[in-house]
Amino acid sequence: MQPFEPEEIVVDRGSETSQIYRNLRHTLPHVPFRIMGSGAAQNGRADFLARAFGAAKKTLVLTRHKGEFLKKCPGSEGQVCCNYFVINFASNCPMDCSYCYLQEYLAENAALKVFSNVNDLLAEADELLSKHRHFFFRIGTGEITDSLALDPYIGFTREIIPFFAEQPNVLLELKTKSDCVEALLDLDSKDRVVVSWSMNPQGVIDLDEQGTASLDERLRAARRCQEAGYRLGFHFDPMIEYQGWERDYEEMLEQTFATVDWRRVAWLSMGVLRNTLGLKRTMRDRFPRTLLLTGEQVLCPDGKLRYFQPLRVAMYRKMLGWIRHAAPTVRVYLCMESKEVWEQVLGFAPSCEKELGQAIVSRQ
Amino acid sequence: MDWLEEIALRDQCKIQELLTRKVIKNIESDPRLGRADKLKRIKDQVRRLRFPRLAHTEDLIHARIQDLKLHPDIKLTVPRGLEGGSLHVEFCASNHSELKQQIAKLTEAAGSDSLAELFGLLAGSPGV
Repeated sequence: MQPFEPEEIVVDRGSETSQIYRNLRHTLPHVPFRIMGSGAAQNGRADFLARAFGAAKKTLVLTRHKGEFLKKCPGSEGQVCCNYFVINFASNCPMDCSYCYLQEYLAENAALKVFSNVNDLLAEADELLSKHRHFFFRIGTGEITDSLALDPYIGFTREIIPFFAEQPNVLLELKTKSDCVEALLDLDSKDRVVVSWSMNPQGVIDLDEQGTASLDERLRAARRCQEAGYRLGFHFDPMIEYQGWERDYEEMLEQTFATVDWRRVAWLSMGVLRNTLGLKRTMRDRFPRTLLLTGEQVLCPDGKLRYFQPLRVAMYRKMLGWIRHAAPTVRVYLCMESKEVWEQVLGFAPSCEKELGQAIVSRQ
Repeated sequence: MDWLEEIALRDQCKIQELLTRKVIKNIESDPRLGRADKLKRIKDQVRRLRFPRLAHTEDLIHARIQDLKLHPDIKLTVPRGLEGGSLHVEFCASNHSELKQQIAKLTEAAGSDSLAELFGLLAGSPGV
């Protein structure tokens, strides 16, 4: 995997007292640091905030987060939701996948930011988890950034895992396309952390997941985490349809289950490539040769483009067959799909999001 | 235009080459068609080129509907793009007797292989 090499690190005054700042200084000593007046990195005066999505990834901004860190995952209108919560400890991602929805979601706010006030994040999480001890939370950090790609430089997991390890009513999911797991290996998460990977065959990684770890690297990292006691998750998302996809995805699954013990896999999810019309325009500008633009996608009621339903149901069924062959009882769910598709693929649809959320963690 | 660009990207050809394909040229040169009809048919053809398997699946579904030989007052349709996986059934009756007749025809159709195949196609069975 390519190391992260920002051209510059911009620090909001006040953030230079944080542990993350010290970690950055230690791990990226050769990168120039620029300290700016308090709030300058947030308020739009700075030149780097106006940069286009791709260029914005070259400057790392360390700043305080002023809003809420913890949010309910918005899901997608009309689709079955898995009752997931997200922690936004950073915004944007050092990797550059051609299908990434952040290209549209963060188009007006593309700076690659890491938030320095981790103590506020932990206080907020503590309040939520303490207030609702009867409810079991699934919380992820990989919604608007990669959970681990920056970890070797910022040391975020060392700050939060000890806290989440002591919480009785939570599973923290660290979702990544990286192999940056070194910091996790000697931490005792007390089974409160699931490390998960977004998975695609190497051919898809080569073409459309720039700057990410290879399939082999992801699987080696997964095995190291499993050996260190973590349960794993795998997200076969976005599944890409192309000539010969079946062979590639089946081989990827075989390789996955030959590398890790599926009985220590907490969950698998499947989801096909999703675009919006706006995202496609951005992809056309940034990745004009990507064949992801040419799939047989139709507009769905939630405003997203997906492969037409019979095609994607057939894809899910094939994947499910290969998964069940290797891992007969592993928990599988669909991401951002309608009840009809759930019924057609899995033979049931959760009656409500709480039911799905609880079902996913019910074996924990 | 997006569709043409995407077909050209997928098929590694130029848009101009797409527009000179026989299926398009035949429509363009058909003297029986007016300008609006030509445009509509060309758009349909471009859609078929852009979404060949979707168009094929839609054709198979329409063929199954034809196989049922239902009375014209009973309409079976599927959503454009096949999203939702549902078959829409519409019929009308102006009296009780007609209603019973339509229901009987539908009941007969419901037992047919064609309808089972149709639902299979909507649910991604082989053929897609």
